[in-house]
Amino acid sequence: MTKEFLIIIFSAILVDNFVLSKFMGICSFLGVSKNLKTAMGMSGAVVCVMLVASAITWPIQHLLLNPLKLGYLQTLVFILVIAALVQMIEMIMKKSMPPLHKALGIYLPLITTNCAVLGVTILNINSNYSFAESMVNALGAGIGFTLSLFLFSGVRSRIDKADVPEALKGLPITLISASLVAVSFLGFKGLVENLFGG
Amino acid sequence: MPQTLTNILIPTGIMLGLALLLGFLIVLVSKAFAVEKNETKEKILEALPGANCGGCGFAGCEGYADYLSKNGTNTALCAVGGVDCAREIASILGTEAAIPEKKVAVPRCQGTCEQTSKRYVYLGTSSCHAASGLLGGPNSCTFGCLGFGDCVAACAFGAIKIVDGICQIDRSQCHGCGQCVKVCPKKLIELMPITATVAVRCQNEWPGARTRKNCNIGCIGCQKCVRFCPQGAISMRESLAVIDQSKCIHCDTCVNGCPTHAIAFLREDLKRASEEAKKELAEKS
Repeated sequence: MTKEFLIIIFSAILVDNFVLSKFMGICSFLGVSKNLKTAMGMSGAVVCVMLVASAITWPIQHLLLNPLKLGYLQTLVFILVIAALVQMIEMIMKKSMPPLHKALGIYLPLITTNCAVLGVTILNINSNYSFAESMVNALGAGIGFTLSLFLFSGVRSRIDKADVPEALKGLPITLISASLVAVSFLGFKGLVENLFGG
Repeated sequence: MPQTLTNILIPTGIMLGLALLLGFLIVLVSKAFAVEKNETKEKILEALPGANCGGCGFAGCEGYADYLSKNGTNTALCAVGGVDCAREIASILGTEAAIPEKKVAVPRCQGTCEQTSKRYVYLGTSSCHAASGLLGGPNSCTFGCLGFGDCVAACAFGAIKIVDGICQIDRSQCHGCGQCVKVCPKKLIELMPITATVAVRCQNEWPGARTRKNCNIGCIGCQKCVRFCPQGAISMRESLAVIDQSKCIHCDTCVNGCPTHAIAFLREDLKRASEEAKKELAEKS
């Protein structure tokens, strides 16, 4: 049991990293990675939303949509639920954590339409995960997102100081370096199989 | 065809129910976590320039507005908004206005590429902070401007540019927020009253001979200006002249007497401009 959880969490963080292997959530990845502080704030929000979204969508799928054979409504219902959820989290955050709310700015509502969040919930269903496995997967995906943002904000602060050719300044060099970071994550392929013999 | 009907109605009903439920929840949460708006703060925020330069020492204009609306009475902290802004805030708060002294940033270095030389070729990161960490930077004078433009990046108003290897500050664009003062690793930018007409544009404390060798326009510490100044406003720190701006009567004797031109007008037409600024300040207060 523990082994399965470890496999799920390691795959989600390193092998199938949402940003760097599945290329989900690129918008927020590029948007908030300019400095470490906002990157970590955004990551915290994503981890939190991923966990809560998985916790809510799993019962919806298995207790509401599946018995009624309404699997085709999955995307629609999930988007609706996640959007409402982010709205509520934003309100709660505005009241109880104003500095964090200020730091996240426009990016918090962006999680509403963040494909990484929707992706993790749908992946949970498609992989036939149990509720506990879904939560572990969501946590792993969130940590993976945090890791990639953490790494990339470091890379970007170096780019800021570097002498970049005029034509590549701004987004182009950011995308190129993002792809290089993604390539480095290819090195984790096969890690889980060898670690856990699965 | 009841089968088709239920096929349509069930999903519709579920979506409708879900939407209503979520809408209801959002309303509940928004009621429970409503943030009461601080009206004074909103008004002050409107009165502030909104430059978010941080010159007041708070986190942007909102931070300053927050401080003022809660317990603050010091309306003089916003250098960008100046006198008008201070008055407006005071009228919102219903207190006496503390008028900020208008200041501008003055770089105390004239060591352009022509006047100074390089000790070594610097190929590292293009930043003053990084360069100054390497034996004080590549310049022959280690007190002077490095010219990598840390201040340019810090200026929220686009008032600074690098010309001939040193920073130049456009006085008409400078709001005196002091961000450049904070980032300069050489501490060579100083906030001076806008009424100041002359300044020692050098901060080299080396003895005269060594200064002379490394820069054509540095202060060599000859003390000529100290003797000339009718007000006794100039004193020496090590081998560097320092002007006490509060004693300066704008007679320009020091500028004319300085053999290396280290003491210079802050601007050609400045004498007139400063008189106008003084008059304006006197009228306003």
